[in-house]
Amino acid sequence: MTVWPGPSASAGHRQVAWLSVGSTQRFYQIDPDGANAPAPAGPLPPAWYDEPVMPVSPLAVEAHDLAKTFRSGWLRRRETPALRGASLQVERGAIFGLLGPNGAGKTTLLSILATLLLPDRGSATILGHDVVREAFAIRRRLNMASGNASFVWSLRPAEVLAFYGRLYGLHGRSLRTRVAELLDRFELTPHLKTEYNELSTGLKQRLALAKALLNRPEVLFLDEPTLGLDPDVSIRIRAQIAELRRREGTTIILTTHYMREADELCDRIAFIKGGRILAEGSPDELKRQIRIGDVVALRLDPAAPAGLADLAGVLQVQTRGDRIECTVDSAEKRLSEILRWLVEQHVVIRDCQVHEPELEEVFVELAR
Amino acid sequence: MSWRAEPIAAGAGAAEWWMEEWVRLSAFAYRNLIMARRNVFFLFELTFWPGVAMLSHGLLTRFLDLTPQMTAFILVGTVALSAVQVCQLDVAYAVLFDIWSKSMKHQFLTPVRIHHLALGSWVVGVGRGVIVWALMAVIGGRAFGFDFLGAGGMRVTLFLLGCFLTALVIGLLVCALVLLWGTRAETSAWAAVNFFVMLSGIYYPVSVLPGWVQTISAGIPLTYFLDGIRAGYGFPPRFAHPFAIGFALSLLYAVLAHWALAAAVTRSRRTGLLLKLSE
Repeated sequence: MTVWPGPSASAGHRQVAWLSVGSTQRFYQIDPDGANAPAPAGPLPPAWYDEPVMPVSPLAVEAHDLAKTFRSGWLRRRETPALRGASLQVERGAIFGLLGPNGAGKTTLLSILATLLLPDRGSATILGHDVVREAFAIRRRLNMASGNASFVWSLRPAEVLAFYGRLYGLHGRSLRTRVAELLDRFELTPHLKTEYNELSTGLKQRLALAKALLNRPEVLFLDEPTLGLDPDVSIRIRAQIAELRRREGTTIILTTHYMREADELCDRIAFIKGGRILAEGSPDELKRQIRIGDVVALRLDPAAPAGLADLAGVLQVQTRGDRIECTVDSAEKRLSEILRWLVEQHVVIRDCQVHEPELEEVFVELAR
Repeated sequence: MSWRAEPIAAGAGAAEWWMEEWVRLSAFAYRNLIMARRNVFFLFELTFWPGVAMLSHGLLTRFLDLTPQMTAFILVGTVALSAVQVCQLDVAYAVLFDIWSKSMKHQFLTPVRIHHLALGSWVVGVGRGVIVWALMAVIGGRAFGFDFLGAGGMRVTLFLLGCFLTALVIGLLVCALVLLWGTRAETSAWAAVNFFVMLSGIYYPVSVLPGWVQTISAGIPLTYFLDGIRAGYGFPPRFAHPFAIGFALSLLYAVLAHWALAAAVTRSRRTGLLLKLSE
C-alpha cells in the first residue's frame, strides 16, 4: 500500500490523498484534525488534487419501507410475503444484528441491501448509493459471506480467491499479495491443494469470509456466519469479525440465530418477524424495551415476608426452594428500595443476586 | 494522520479502466481453464466426441461411396457442429458452473457485467474450438483424405470465426434461459446447438427443408457460414456474400443475446431465482 502525502488544501476544498489499494485507486480525506504529513519534495504526484467538499452521511445503510413478495406457480399463483415494510439505519463502522426466527425475512432484507434482490416497494441506500439504480457502484464497496456458502467445487482455496479477486479488479502482484494475506489470516494455507468440495464445513466458512474481504469492503453482510460450526471455530470467527471492525472500521450487518453472538458482537440489533422489524436498539435497550424485567433473587430469614409484591416496580414474586425471585422493572432503580424495605421489616438478607434478562429471553418474547 | 474512505476511482484513467476490464474478462477465462484442466469430461468434449463424430461420419461417406466433393460437404457440417458445441459450452459454463455448485450470487455480487462473463469464457471456447477443428482436420485428413484447407485459408478462417460467433450467441441464450428457468433449462446447453444446426443445413442443403423452415434458416448465421465454406469446395453458393450476411446477423444476435441475458439477470433479481440458485 502506497500513501502519498499532499499539499495543503485550498479554501472550500478538502485535502485528499491518493492511495493505491491493490489494483484500485481510492481517494482519502485527510482528517482536518489530524496532522498532515509534509508534502514531498519536487513535483507533486499527479494523483493529487483538491476535491470539492461533499457532505458525507454518517449512515452506511439506510432502508425505508422495504417490501418483497415472492411469487411462484403458473396456474395457481402462490404469493409469499417475505418483507412487509422494513426500515433501518446503520451507522458507519457499526456492527448491526438482524435477529428473527426462520422465515422472518432476514436473508431477504440482507439480499436486497446487497443488490442481489430487487424490492417491490421502498428504497435503500448503501454509502449513499441507491441499491436499485446504482447497484454497480455499490458492489465495489460491499461484500457478503453466508454461513452455508458454496463455491465451484473443484477449485482450490487460492483459486476461489483469485477468481473473485479478479472480478473485483485485482491483478498481478496486488492479487497475489491479497490472496496470500487472506489465506494466511484465515489459516487456509495448509489446505492449498484441497479442492473446495473436500474442505470441512469450518474451512469452507473461513474461505467464505476470506472471499468476502477480498475487496476490503466498507460494508460487509454476514448471513449466519457461524451456522453449524464447532464452538471453537465459532469463537475464532467471532473474534475475526470484531477485529475487522476494530482494525478497518468496516460496517457489518449480520444475521444470526445465536443470541450470544449478537449480544457479544452487535452495537445495535433489530428483531424481525413476519417481514416486519418489531424492535430495534442496543442489546441493553432491547432487554429493557420489552419489559421482561430484571430478577432479584433473595435468600431471606424469614423466608417470605408479606407485602414484598406490593412494592413499587415489583412485577412478580415467586418462591423457588429457599429463594425468592422478584421480577422488577429495573434492578438498578429498585434494588436499594427493596433492600431498605426488607431492613425496615427486620428481615435478615442472607444472599442477594441480580440477573439481567438474556437476549434469548427477549427473542423468545418477541418471537411469540 | 488519519484517513477516511471515499468513493473509489474518482480519477481513474482510461488505462486503468481498460486494465480492470481485461482483468474481469480474464477471471472467467481463468476459471474455465482450471476446470478444463481438472475435469475429465472436458477432455471428452475436446477429443472423444469430436473424434467419434469425425470417424463415424467419415466412415458413412465411405460406405455411401461419396465423391470427395460430397464428402467435404458432409464433413464440413461435422466440424461446424463440434466447433460450435464446444465453444458455446464454454460460454454457458460461465453460468452453469455456478448453477451446479450453487454459488451464483457471489458472481453477481461483484462489479461484473455481462460482457465480462460472456467474452472471458468465450475466449477459452474459441481456443478449445480451434483445438477441436485441428483434431478433426488431422483425423479427416489421415483417415479419409479430406483437405480441411481445401476451401482456402481465408474461407476457413472466416468460417471458424463465424462458428465461434454463432457459439457466443447460443451460449448467451443458454445462460439467459438458465437464469430464467433455473436448472430446468440446463439441458438447453446441449440441445440448443443441435436445434440450430439442424435448421442451418448441417449435412444437407437448406433447399431440402420445407419452405417455411427455409425462411427460419435464412435468419440463422450458421446457414451462411456453411454456405460460404462449401462454395470453396465447388458448391454453388445459395446466397450472395454469405460471410458478410452471416457476420452481420451474428453481431446483431450477439447484441440481442447480450441484452436478453442482462434482462434475465434483472428478472432473476426480481423473482429471487438468483438466490434460489445459490446455496
